[in-house]
Amino acid sequence: MRKKKTAGKRPTKLSSRHHTHSEGRCVDLLRQLSAYIDDELPSDICREIRRHLGTCPNCEVFIASLQQTVTLCRHRLTPQLTSADRMNMRRMILDAVAAR
Amino acid sequence: MRASAPRKPSPHPARQVLYGFDRLYRDHVDLIYRYAHRLCGETEAAKDLVQETFLNAYQGLKDFRGESKVSTWLYTIASRACIRMRRKRKGEPEHELSLEEFVPTSEGEFRLQIPMDGLSPEEALQNKELREALDQAIEKLPKKYRMALVLRDMEGLSAKEVGTIMGLNERAVKSRLHRARLFVRRELSARGITQQDNQKSGGSPS
Repeated sequence: MRKKKTAGKRPTKLSSRHHTHSEGRCVDLLRQLSAYIDDELPSDICREIRRHLGTCPNCEVFIASLQQTVTLCRHRLTPQLTSADRMNMRRMILDAVAAR
Repeated sequence: MRASAPRKPSPHPARQVLYGFDRLYRDHVDLIYRYAHRLCGETEAAKDLVQETFLNAYQGLKDFRGESKVSTWLYTIASRACIRMRRKRKGEPEHELSLEEFVPTSEGEFRLQIPMDGLSPEEALQNKELREALDQAIEKLPKKYRMALVLRDMEGLSAKEVGTIMGLNERAVKSRLHRARLFVRRELSARGITQQDNQKSGGSPS
């Protein structure tokens, strides 16, 4: 089954006939990489992208590094609040409410 | 018809608001702190943002009709408060990120890598240098791009939810997210951190 298209114009088709970075094939791909990573593109476009990646090591490395960026962002650590922090902030919020 | 049982007198309205607030605060303060910390990048600013968010939520609680999830409502309040607070603090103009600036101009630029081959993300982030580079890259992002990245890739919300929070359509959210990811990727890979650095510079995250 073909995936539902998201918003906007249909994504550009990538030509696999030639492969020259300066001709913009890779630039077309670059515009669509997040949609590709997020699995939002129609299946025929995904197939073309996979075909392109098979012939273009540069784009393959680029997409891997973008995917890794997303993975790192998803796993970035954040500190936790302590119980004392929660209590102090609650008190300050209620003090501010009372003062208004 | 059966006579209804005598009902307990309902609490004073002000007390009801306080109960409602306490439940809201207890259930969501950790979520909003995590979001605030991801947006602000440092503890004190994140705490200020949490307080501002819940202060606004307290005042808006009686008008909240549940048209969106409570968490979406709080994310929206926090996002608006963040924009106001940053404007007040810095007054810096926001710059736009264009896709063209991320087009590699050389083979070398295309092939810049992030040192995590064969490592889980948790293992890769043991590398202090990589962790700091990630934090700095996110901190350098103009806030409207950072907000899209944080909400989508860190908080794990859908593009539609991010759009509701930021007042954008999905297409605009995806466009901002894509530029934000390309920006962070370029910042990380341009630092030239290598797999060897990764092995040398371990240490537990702060």
